[in-house]
Amino acid sequence: MNHHSRRKTCHFCENKVAIDYKDEHLLDRFTNDRGKILPRRVSGTCASHQRQLSQAVKRGRYLALISYIPDHQR
Amino acid sequence: MPRPYETVIIFDSTLEDSQVQEKIQRLSSLVAPNGGESVKVDVWGKRKLAYPIDKKEQGIYAVLRYETEPSALTEFERIMRLDEQVLRQLTVVDPIVPTPSPARAPRPVEESEA
Repeated sequence: MNHHSRRKTCHFCENKVAIDYKDEHLLDRFTNDRGKILPRRVSGTCASHQRQLSQAVKRGRYLALISYIPDHQR
Repeated sequence: MPRPYETVIIFDSTLEDSQVQEKIQRLSSLVAPNGGESVKVDVWGKRKLAYPIDKKEQGIYAVLRYETEPSALTEFERIMRLDEQVLRQLTVVDPIVPTPSPARAPRPVEESEA
C-alpha cells in the first residue's frame, strides 16, 4: 500500500547497450504511438543517452525505419 | 587523416540483386582504393518502408562501412544524389564503440522497493 514507485533507470546505462539508429525495435520502444520521442521523465533515460536517442530516432525516421507519423493519422 | 564512416543507402526495390551489387561496387570505389575492397557491405535486402518515398512502398537497404578521407565524401554523396534509383542515403561517422570510462559508470541502482 505505498505509493513509492521504483526509481527508473536509464536502459542504456543499465544494460550497457549502444544506441543504434538502425535498430528499429529499439527506436520503437522509445517513441509513443504517435511516433513522438518519449520524454526522459517517462522512459527514465539519462541526459546523455536521451540526446543520443533523439539523434537516433531522427535518423531512423529519415531512413524510413520508423515513421514520422503513424499511418492512421496521415 | 581517414575517418571511419557508415553509409546506409536505400535503393529502388525494382532493381535486381546484380544491379544493386554493381552500384555498390561502383560507389565503393569512390571511397576506397582498389575498387572499394576494404568496404564492408551488408545488404539487408528488400524491406517495407515506414512511409512511402517517391510513391514507393519498398526499398533495398544496404549498409557500407569503410574508412576514407572526409574530402572523398563530397563526390560520393553527389553521385548518389544524382542516381534516381537511390531513394535515400545517410552517411554518418561510424560510432566506434568507446570503452566506457570509470567516471561514466552508471549510478548504483537503489533497491528502495519496500
